[in-house]
Amino acid sequence: MGAVLAVYGEYLGRWLPPLVRAAVVTLELAALSIAVGLILGLVVALMKMSHLAALRRAAGAYIEVIRGTPALTQIYIVYFGLAGIGIRLDNFTAAVAALGINTAAYMAEIYRAGIESVHKGQREAALSLGMTPARAMRYVVLPQAWSVVLPPGTNLAIAILKDTSLASAIATPELMSRAYDLVGQSWRPMDIYVLAALIYAAMCLPLGLLVRRLERPARRGEVEEPGGPRRRIGLRGPWVAVGTKGDGAEGEAGAGAETAPGRMT
Amino acid sequence: MTSDAFAFWRIFFARLPVFLPVLLKGALTTVEITLASLVVAIVLGLLLALLRHARIPILSGLATAYVDLLRAVPVLTTLFIIYFGLAYMGIRLSSFAAAITGLGLLGAAYMAEIHRAGIESIHRGQREAALSLGMTPATAMRYVVLPQAFRVVIPPTANYAIGLLKDTAVVSTVAAPELLFAAKTLVSQTLLPMQIYLLAALVYLSLSLPLARLAHYVEVRLSRGG
Repeated sequence: MGAVLAVYGEYLGRWLPPLVRAAVVTLELAALSIAVGLILGLVVALMKMSHLAALRRAAGAYIEVIRGTPALTQIYIVYFGLAGIGIRLDNFTAAVAALGINTAAYMAEIYRAGIESVHKGQREAALSLGMTPARAMRYVVLPQAWSVVLPPGTNLAIAILKDTSLASAIATPELMSRAYDLVGQSWRPMDIYVLAALIYAAMCLPLGLLVRRLERPARRGEVEEPGGPRRRIGLRGPWVAVGTKGDGAEGEAGAGAETAPGRMT
Repeated sequence: MTSDAFAFWRIFFARLPVFLPVLLKGALTTVEITLASLVVAIVLGLLLALLRHARIPILSGLATAYVDLLRAVPVLTTLFIIYFGLAYMGIRLSSFAAAITGLGLLGAAYMAEIHRAGIESIHRGQREAALSLGMTPATAMRYVVLPQAFRVVIPPTANYAIGLLKDTAVVSTVAAPELLFAAKTLVSQTLLPMQIYLLAALVYLSLSLPLARLAHYVEVRLSRGG
């Protein structure tokens, strides 16, 4: 223990600044991938719930294929595969594209669970007031689905933050590849990779605490009032829905969200 | 340009009988790594969950810290610590052993949460009844609580196994001869990245989709109480 601390005392000043700068790139990578995933995921979720069978099937296939294959394989296809057929992306863009496409598939299922948790009477009431289906979705259903989407959505964000480390396989200059470079210079793999792990933990743990906070009110909504109906019934379903209704590979996104509160993926 | 692209596809399909066996051999290693690390994760995860549950002052705190910390660290980082870090300290593991150790240790943190949720889902009256019958806490856990928790634990464990199967791809970075590494090797020999990585993705899909169907089936069966 003392020896480890001595090593850090000697080298921390040299290692920490480049690693922290690289961690900023990691955060950028994660934020952009999540942004792509949030937008594309909503499109896929709405397609999955469309009246048109073709759209439903396309969205279903997208979700199954993406969730059934490793993120690293997807990164290789977008970076090396596209380059092989003449489309050259730089490694940062390729990482954002691959991770965004990956996030969208998980996010779509989270959105769908959220939207389905809103009682259909809400939508019907909005339609009967003369709103178009799009406006009813935008102003009535989605705002209510949001509180249900947020906890598993944050869990997904943590998973993406960790998955950005895979971008080091295509030399995107993020935390893991910077750590790899430093190991090449100093040949101190244990100390540097442990330091990188601690930086990842420092980024992920606050998000994990946030999930626990977000989950609390949702769970309070489940409590049955003595002798009365369930309050805030709209908040009851989603935890079950994400875990059980999803058709197939419940990877990181929804699995165990109901059974394991505060689970970080 | 387009004729070039088609030429590559033609070469790819002509060589498919050569490529596919190489990838399938890699897929076998992928399955081996998945199963071995799943066993490590389940056993170690149960130990961690029991330690947390037992509320032994220091040990329970350590188990909680282990679970929280490891879930906040990427698979790749854990793997590098175990493969490169330990080697530097004189403990040389093969890439295969490092993969199972890394994925197993990391998986234990996730499985501990799944086991904990299972144990906590059993009404405490069950345990109290067992204790009032004269069972020791350990016997009550072994014969009353855990068998019932088992049903709750199976669906998320199956889902976790699918995640684990995909996580094994990361092991290719330390040159364990699994599916993605086999694909990488083929790409460096043939310069057909798109075709070969798509084929690799297809092989992953043919492993994960049946597993997902099975997990879904088991989940429905168990929730029905069958």
